[in-house]
Amino acid sequence: MSNIFDMERIAMAISLSYREKSLYASLVAELVVYGPYFFLHRQNSVNKVAGMIIGIIVLQIILQSIIAALTRNRITDERDRLIELRGYRVGYFTLASLMVLGLGMLWFHSAFGHLSMEGRWVGLHFLSAFFGMLVISDIAKTAAQIVAYRRAL
Amino acid sequence: MPSIRNQIRELRAERKMTQQELADQIGVTRQTVIAIEQDKYSPSLETAFKVARVLGVTLEECFQYEPRGRR
Repeated sequence: MSNIFDMERIAMAISLSYREKSLYASLVAELVVYGPYFFLHRQNSVNKVAGMIIGIIVLQIILQSIIAALTRNRITDERDRLIELRGYRVGYFTLASLMVLGLGMLWFHSAFGHLSMEGRWVGLHFLSAFFGMLVISDIAKTAAQIVAYRRAL
Repeated sequence: MPSIRNQIRELRAERKMTQQELADQIGVTRQTVIAIEQDKYSPSLETAFKVARVLGVTLEECFQYEPRGRR
């Protein structure tokens, strides 16, 4: 009898639910695809952003398919849904905070005339900034969900 | 930490029931049963009633409310 509980105690530390595995895969995909956006791409372009969006979709489909195929029990329950909502809350606050920061910087640039770019580059600048905000908030959402699975709710 | 305590682990041990068996019977994942047993998650009222019914005890025998700061 005690063996069952010893085994359970060991399994507790290493077991991940289907949703947790899926979240770790999402985080890996986000870091692999978006990482270069922040650290490698010196010059951004519409094609690079489009390429990354396609890349994340393809990588997510591959990783999620592998996890779904390897996981027998794929049920989600009330705790999964609660954690998902908490993640979206963190993601929303991150996005809203970054938008406020972005608006503040825009106001600063327009008030003091530091933004001196041609029309074409202004568009690309905004594309990069908004895409960056979405990426950061998405990573924050996924990370918050992973943390929530390991902490008390 | 949630202010709901429970005796699920002890009651389960008495019935020689595994976490997976309990999880299957109440319709949650095993990880959720683990979180409830470790007082890391307070289940919904519906799930709490299901747990008590599966273990064959009353809700009060299974779950206890302890206001924060009284432990």
